[in-house]
Amino acid sequence: MFKESYHRMNSHIFPSEQLMQDVLSAARGKHCKKRMISLRLKRNIMMLVVFSAILVMTMPVIASTVEPIYQLMYMVSPSVAQFFMPVQKSSISNGIKLEVVSANIHQKTAEIYVTMQDLTENRIDGTTDLFDSYTINRPFDSSAHCQMIGYDEKTKIVTFLITIDEWGGQNIDGDKITFSVREFLSQKNSYEDLAIPVSLANIADAEHTQTVSSNGGGGRDYQGYLEFEKNPIALVPSVPMANFPIDGIAFTGIAYIDGELHIQTAVEHPLDNDNHGFFYLKDENGTEIDCDFSFYFSETDEQIGRIDYHECVFDVPLENIAAYALYGDFVTSGMKTEGDWRVTFPLESVE
Amino acid sequence: MEPQPLCMDESAEAVIKCYSNMVYRLAFARTGTRHDADEIYQEVFLRYIKKQPVFENEDHRKAWLIKVTVNCSKKLWGSAWKRKIVPLEETLPFETKEAIDLYNELQQLPTKYREVIHLYYYEDMSTEAIAESLERKSSTVRTQLTRARAMLKNILEEDQDV
Repeated sequence: MFKESYHRMNSHIFPSEQLMQDVLSAARGKHCKKRMISLRLKRNIMMLVVFSAILVMTMPVIASTVEPIYQLMYMVSPSVAQFFMPVQKSSISNGIKLEVVSANIHQKTAEIYVTMQDLTENRIDGTTDLFDSYTINRPFDSSAHCQMIGYDEKTKIVTFLITIDEWGGQNIDGDKITFSVREFLSQKNSYEDLAIPVSLANIADAEHTQTVSSNGGGGRDYQGYLEFEKNPIALVPSVPMANFPIDGIAFTGIAYIDGELHIQTAVEHPLDNDNHGFFYLKDENGTEIDCDFSFYFSETDEQIGRIDYHECVFDVPLENIAAYALYGDFVTSGMKTEGDWRVTFPLESVE
Repeated sequence: MEPQPLCMDESAEAVIKCYSNMVYRLAFARTGTRHDADEIYQEVFLRYIKKQPVFENEDHRKAWLIKVTVNCSKKLWGSAWKRKIVPLEETLPFETKEAIDLYNELQQLPTKYREVIHLYYYEDMSTEAIAESLERKSSTVRTQLTRARAMLKNILEEDQDV
């Protein structure tokens, strides 16, 4: 029987003891961090990086190079610092230095710390974003991601953590990794919880719609939606709202299609920025409702004159929509810097 | 089905222990990975600890946790950060072929169908209760349940009780 089979399947699914203890610890301490890192080792390493950055800021003489970070880590906690394997391989392009500072393998996870520093100008800042421009080549099956973990105002050095999770039981000790970056964005502006000047009580069914070919999307329901609707139906862009408060993003439509609320924005020259945003609804109690899915489409694949449209879709009936207000989170970028940074280095374990 | 105990003790610790599996399993049902379920699980209970909401009864508490779990998983997937990372492949937590096959079949379903299936068959919620928790119309939930069953036809065709 399906129900029994489903119950048996779920009996294997439960939070790890460590995860549960972390949450219970937060409950006991009555303090909430935005994100807890479930691996205690990883948390210690992150604390060390932050602490080291603070120390570097107070020691300008040695802050000019990245090497002191190791010394500081050993000073703070040799037991954690022992997991770091110095790499210190760098690549300079367009006056900007990319350096792989250290790498370690812990169980099946490789953690690599990479810094970038502008040697000639001030193009690196605390909002530096590699967006989709980095690649991580490795000779084994794995998943990988890269996140910025810190920025030092004094040295203008931004630090990224690359995490690679090997899957398949291979021994990755000694394998070589190539990390490359072709461009990055900086001087970004973030807008959170921004009230959008739209009265949802006046929203009606769309007068004009179009069938488009989606070139991507978001939200967990996106893939499911496309299983039924290979080519989503979208709003026909209208003249951008004059009082939309975000430079770099145009508000080009809001209306109902087939009982679902569609909200459309447009970004010009999308390949030169990472301007994007998400809408959500709030009721009078402040409860938020995220869109069920969103999709992107363009009217042309040409880079010149290209406009990317993003359409958020809410499964909220028209008769209920007046009870909500529209809010959004947005990010716009002010500068794109191109270069050719590429570093190849070995992964080595000290365990 | 494992009986869902009521939380006689309303302390945050007791509530977390009480609803730990419910939140985690719903998060897993939606996301399909332990990695994402871990993150949602933390976020849900951190919100609970931070907001310390007061409920009229245990059903309301359960409905709140379900709603927040669904919202957190939507938020996770909609975040700019999530759009940039490579999906994590991970070892499945299942030991039997039956469980692995069922998991793979379920992963073919849209997320909103998986959550409806989970709440209906695992949490034993009525379509009306699911609609209330997910802020959808009952008719929408029933349609999604029907479509999900149709898509799970290979599994369900010999199952007369579903």
